[in-house]
Amino acid sequence: MAWEDFEHDMQRCTRCSYCKWIPWRFMESTDFMQGCPSIARYNFHAYSAGGRYNISYSLMQNRLEIDDSFLDVVYKCLMDGSCDVACKMQQDLEPLQHMQDLRIKCVEEGQVPLEHVPIIRSLRKEDNMVEGFRSERGEWADGLDVKRVAETPAEVLFHAGCRYSYDRELWPVARAGVDLLRRAGVDVGIMGHAEVCCAGRAYELGYVGEMVKFAQSHAENLRSRGVKAIVTPCADCYASFKVLYDKIGMKLAIPIFHIAEYLEGLIAEGALQPRKAPGMRVTYHDPCHLGRLAEPWIHWNGKEVKPPNAQIWLHDPPKKYRRGTGGVYDTPRNIIRSLPGVDFVEMYRIREYAWCCGAGGGVSETYPDFALWTGAERLREAQAVGAEAVVSACPWCKRNLTDAAAEAGYDIQVLDIIELLQEACGGDASGNRHAVNGREDRR
Amino acid sequence: MRLTDEEYRALEEIVGSENISRDPVVMESYNQVWGNKLVFGQKHTTPPAAVLCPGGVQEITAVVKLCNQHGILFKALASGFEWVATVLERERGILLDLRRMDRIIEIDEKNMFAVVEPFVSCHKLQLEANKLGLYIGKPGVGYSGNVIAVACCHQEMTISQIYTSGYGRNVLGCEWVLPTGEILNLGNSGREGGWFSADGPGFSLRGILRGRAGANGGHGVLTKASVKLYPYYGEVPGLKRHPGEPPSAAQLEGVPEHYRAFVFTFPTMDKMLRASAEIGRAELACVLAPGYIATGFTGEGNDEEWAMMRETTPEEMERARNSVPVTINGHSARELEYRERAVLSIMEKWDGYLDAGLNHPDVQARRFQYQFWSTGVPAVRATGDFMVSIQGADGSPEMQMRHRPVEIEAFGPFAESGAILQNTAGVVYRPQEHYSLGCSGGVGTSFDPWDPASLEAAREYQDRMYDPAGPFRRFGYTNRGAMMQIESIHHIHERWGPIYDGCDYWLRRVKAMLDPNNVADWSAYIPAEYAGEAEDGA
Repeated sequence: MAWEDFEHDMQRCTRCSYCKWIPWRFMESTDFMQGCPSIARYNFHAYSAGGRYNISYSLMQNRLEIDDSFLDVVYKCLMDGSCDVACKMQQDLEPLQHMQDLRIKCVEEGQVPLEHVPIIRSLRKEDNMVEGFRSERGEWADGLDVKRVAETPAEVLFHAGCRYSYDRELWPVARAGVDLLRRAGVDVGIMGHAEVCCAGRAYELGYVGEMVKFAQSHAENLRSRGVKAIVTPCADCYASFKVLYDKIGMKLAIPIFHIAEYLEGLIAEGALQPRKAPGMRVTYHDPCHLGRLAEPWIHWNGKEVKPPNAQIWLHDPPKKYRRGTGGVYDTPRNIIRSLPGVDFVEMYRIREYAWCCGAGGGVSETYPDFALWTGAERLREAQAVGAEAVVSACPWCKRNLTDAAAEAGYDIQVLDIIELLQEACGGDASGNRHAVNGREDRR
Repeated sequence: MRLTDEEYRALEEIVGSENISRDPVVMESYNQVWGNKLVFGQKHTTPPAAVLCPGGVQEITAVVKLCNQHGILFKALASGFEWVATVLERERGILLDLRRMDRIIEIDEKNMFAVVEPFVSCHKLQLEANKLGLYIGKPGVGYSGNVIAVACCHQEMTISQIYTSGYGRNVLGCEWVLPTGEILNLGNSGREGGWFSADGPGFSLRGILRGRAGANGGHGVLTKASVKLYPYYGEVPGLKRHPGEPPSAAQLEGVPEHYRAFVFTFPTMDKMLRASAEIGRAELACVLAPGYIATGFTGEGNDEEWAMMRETTPEEMERARNSVPVTINGHSARELEYRERAVLSIMEKWDGYLDAGLNHPDVQARRFQYQFWSTGVPAVRATGDFMVSIQGADGSPEMQMRHRPVEIEAFGPFAESGAILQNTAGVVYRPQEHYSLGCSGGVGTSFDPWDPASLEAAREYQDRMYDPAGPFRRFGYTNRGAMMQIESIHHIHERWGPIYDGCDYWLRRVKAMLDPNNVADWSAYIPAEYAGEAEDGA
């Protein structure tokens, strides 16, 4: 679909404001009812999915033009999809896809926030979204005893992603991921310096052409290397490979796993045997890109129709909506629950209706104060359920929640599920320092 | 003329720069609501000159006083989920978005009332009240509706109002910023007696506050209110769903322990209504909704919904029309048992029976969830717009028996032509307070405002409902108009007032008295003067 195709959605949005909240029937705490960080932070209706439908319709009607104010509203959206899940409890609308196509339109018209310019330049020149040098991409694995698939074939490709590749504080997590796979006997390799971005974050900013280019690159690379599966510790990369590439008609030919899925299988097989974990109360934060945004893409090519003699909009053929249900929710929880000594507690906003960490949609790069505010709000929720640590499964979540904890002064650990599992499996066998022993060991 | 820079700066000083905007992009999100196309022919109305998000009563009084000084129109809104919620009568007008005022100030468990700010949603209060075994009632507008808006500003209703009463009846005290900026406290409202009493000595000002069927902003801003709560036996129901099911599929596993839910089916409508009235007047039920059989049964989306509708046979529709959902509760097993015996005996007296399909435990659990913990207004999904037909003030079964055929006859041609979709089994009723105060009834309909034929039909049907010389005259001054009308277009008060003892004259006198500078937006209420009218009202 293109932006123009959402006119009917724009007309039918009633301003019910359900997009601002988590679904009513899942509300448990009056302190944690909001679902959309954007409206929660900026208050004016424009900063909600409904408001964005409104301004989009005004743009279509030539009542507005794309200017800095318009971009401010469009890009202060985390693209986390909370609105989408809540809206679809009541309506046959696609607020998230509308936002995606509105951003693509902004890019096509050359109207983007200035902060995006160096990021996209970095992607085009250095193949990453974090303004790092291509030559430094593989340094995270220096000294790690793992195959480089460019030189030695491997069955499983461990795709680290831009954040893990360039965020030095997070390198131990990526290394631990490889360590666990190798310890379980997986024939795993990495691309090292030759790895490139998935371009999912660029797509979310509206750069659809960039993702097509990188999807082609990945497809060719995988074919030539003979890799049988991709395992990634990055939820963003996972959703790109699995969902977005399929959405744009470039589905990869091999299975895609988030590392949590792969590790769960290894535990079930007995290849990994978690024996003891830190005795603490932990909660799990669903990364949007592993949760609702990881639901497989449902292709639908049809048209809206009305039945004879009735006023109701139907689809020909009938349309199955993506409602967030098909995300990866139980796998990380199963792993955490299987760890001896871990006291697992849920937050109030979970699974399809989880609150975003704040790093999505380019917000952490464009509006860092908003990103940190959103992350702090998540930590407040974690603290409200008595958690000593927040466990997630995405480097963007770990980065932003860690920064938010420091900024807002939350005394709570932010861990990736890899770290927790590695600790339970007897610590690091690859020379990393442990990351789960308290504040003094956090990097 | 929009606001001058000086006026804008003065408003900004009151609420702070973060809480005011006149950015055209932001304004364009405050002039598009669902009813606009029906009423004005387009989704957009004139955008406000500014939107403010005030943080408390002091800021609101200062803003309102400034509006009086400078002749700026103002209107407050909470969720804004209403047909014409953001419409302003003049372009030199501002909206007060009250979303920052979202505190539950107090829940008095012993005396069963709550004090809330205007952005507290019904569901938020419901969750907190439930922890104390209390309940507010399920609003027809869905749970995003705000307590003060539905209780003080509209004529909101609920299918549990036989137990919880219509919301307008539940208001106790209020902190009310009059259109002049003065604060009027209704009831004891926070004085020595707390918020308990509905009114102090003298005339009931609740009626003045509410106007006829909701002043919809025309009488100023409610910044705090206390509302009655009712017993709820049990906890917030935990919902279950099977793996892979979407969130909308989450359902109760059964009707909670202290409740029983039934659907009684009768051989005729006459018997169904008479049994309903008897159950109501005996004060036995906590939900009683004649004809409201389909509540809670919606598909995930329109495609699934349509498939369900297609599966319904004419015989099932006929059964539904003559059925009534009845839910009872009790604080003890003995009370519940007594109530069950009593309602079943009334059912038998009027030749009713329990249809196995309509009373399947899974079906009842689902229905109960929607009756008490509604989570949406699925009627808006079919086309993006719907309307509900007229309602009567007289709740007697005799009235309903007269009303139903008239409603069905008036609506029938529109449904048959396909211009409007009837998505209920027929006319449904929501009795108030044990059938002693009235009964709201009507047909839930979907129309498509973007389909010229459907829009035309909806307007024609609406005109028929609003016509004081039309078929609904005998059932009274339409309350629905208060939600869907713009007085300057529909002239409901102007047309119906004279046949109701000239009550519109007094409504306008009250409006003029409360709002001498004519700054509290009256678009969905009544102006102090009708257009072209002489000052003396002649």
